[in-house]
Amino acid sequence: MKEKKTLRSAATIGRLLRRNLSKVQMLGFVLSNFIGLAIVISGIQFYSDIRSIWESDDSFINQDYLILNRKVTASHTFGSNSTEFSDEDISDLEAQPWVRRVGKFLSADYEVRAYMQQGDRSMSTSMFLEAIPDDFIDVSPDDWQYTPGDTVVPIIMSKDYLTLYNFGFASASGLPQLTEGMLSSMPLTLRLTSRDGSGDVTLLAHITGFSGRLNTILVPESFMEWSNESLGAKRGEGEKVQRLIVDVSSPGDVAIGDYLDGHSYEKAGEDTGAQAAYFIKLVSGLVIGIGALITLLSFFILLLSVALLMQKNRSKLRLLIMLGYNLRAIGKPYENITLAVSLISYALAIIAMLIFRNIYIGGLTGLIGQNEAGMAVALLCGAAVVAITLVINIIAIRRKVRSAFYS
Amino acid sequence: MEIKEIELTDVLPAVFKGEPARPSDVWLTNLTLRKGERYIISAESGTGKSSLCAYIFGARRDYIGTIRFSGEDVRSYPIKKWQGIRRTGIAYLPQDLGLFPELTAWENITLKNSITRHFSNEQIMALLARLGIQSRTDFPVGKMSIGQQQRVAIVRTLCQPFDFIFLDEPVSHLDEENNRIVASIVEEEAGRQGAAIIATSVGNHLLLSDAKTLHL
Repeated sequence: MKEKKTLRSAATIGRLLRRNLSKVQMLGFVLSNFIGLAIVISGIQFYSDIRSIWESDDSFINQDYLILNRKVTASHTFGSNSTEFSDEDISDLEAQPWVRRVGKFLSADYEVRAYMQQGDRSMSTSMFLEAIPDDFIDVSPDDWQYTPGDTVVPIIMSKDYLTLYNFGFASASGLPQLTEGMLSSMPLTLRLTSRDGSGDVTLLAHITGFSGRLNTILVPESFMEWSNESLGAKRGEGEKVQRLIVDVSSPGDVAIGDYLDGHSYEKAGEDTGAQAAYFIKLVSGLVIGIGALITLLSFFILLLSVALLMQKNRSKLRLLIMLGYNLRAIGKPYENITLAVSLISYALAIIAMLIFRNIYIGGLTGLIGQNEAGMAVALLCGAAVVAITLVINIIAIRRKVRSAFYS
Repeated sequence: MEIKEIELTDVLPAVFKGEPARPSDVWLTNLTLRKGERYIISAESGTGKSSLCAYIFGARRDYIGTIRFSGEDVRSYPIKKWQGIRRTGIAYLPQDLGLFPELTAWENITLKNSITRHFSNEQIMALLARLGIQSRTDFPVGKMSIGQQQRVAIVRTLCQPFDFIFLDEPVSHLDEENNRIVASIVEEEAGRQGAAIIATSVGNHLLLSDAKTLHL
């Protein structure tokens, strides 16, 4: 009975204090807040989905890696080997804000010849080998390891070479085209010879993977260190680095181009991926920014509407205060209004985001496979925005009630 | 907290400052209002009668001098403390009654009683009956006559425990018969709680027995 009575009087207060509530203003807030929030969380969600795509290794916009070398000029061709990167060059590069980490390409400092047996045909070719730290390689085959003494070396080859062979060399010379699987199962023999003829090692090799990112023939770093030490022309002089792989935090950043030009560095490959990534970041940022601006404006609509409503009901607030009501209880109906309209617009925004995502996600997964990101980030960002605006509104309401205490 | 006495030391509305002093039992003197006693504050209009009530009720602070409740200077009281005093220490009937015209008489009264739980519904009905307005409980207050509104507001003012009850011109729109009824109800309630009664008046005094008259 007593409970019921309290409820009834709370309802009476609510009825009193909500009088003069403008439905048009509330609708205006819900609509604008809904639009703003929907844009913000859809933008964030779209960005996370796209982001998850370019974090997958094979993606067309995955260009967070740069491969750098010094420009080769005539003086390099005929003169000293100054296309190498010194330790200072590397530490200077590592200190750049757009660099996450730098990996060194080690190249074989000896002659390499590969022999291949296919049916009754055998062929041999002169080739080269390079090594980079494992975490820069976009594929990670199970048997990617070498310890000195092993008789088989794993190799990762560029996909481009296979393409070049299949559509260039094989068709021109009437040789059969090969698949990745066939090539992997083909036994290879490598003969490594030091340039002065003092050393000679023969090993078996097999191709364990194909890289889309790295345009080279890779062996494990441990193999390269061991073989350069035992066969290299510059044994004991330390490693010579002529190419670097750089993990870049913001591909497309103009500072990168300036830095490379300033140091006469060249980067390998085309730039379209980086530009696409940069463009998507820019556009997503812009869209999220616009959404945030609309959300901010809608927040002011709510703040002002509630302030206006409380101003209109100021005499009622004062009367309740004179009756001895706690200020919290007097502010409660207004807090409930802001809570309700904020939650309604957030719920609508989530629905809009889901509908929007449903439209584009099919196209995206078709493009890159199952790589969609979770929705936690977007939903949490939306919830954070709602929570912040609610807290500010509630603070404003409580101040307004307090201000009615003294006439 | 129990308020045993209210002391006014050299209190004056800030707007009166600098004006030539008039003889007054309240302003610019030492006055102590004690629990259990009865006072009529007789005033001409414009002498700060409602201001005095507002100062003591914590609704305004634009005075000079010091007001103390049981020795404590009230100027520094936080809002929360004032709200507690308004529920259990001091009852106050403002001159403008402070009713919500859109609510019924019953709603106006229970709006107060629901936070104090001072009376049962039957007790409220009995008071309304004594004042002759029991049949009007479901009537919006705004549509009642001023005299009826005054009686509703008086019942609402009584819906709390108190040490002091301030009635700002409680019977200005009531006839002598109703004045007597109001006085006896207020005296009963105050007597039951050992509380003080302070009623202001510009002419039509609340008919309290044995009251001190103070000239403002």
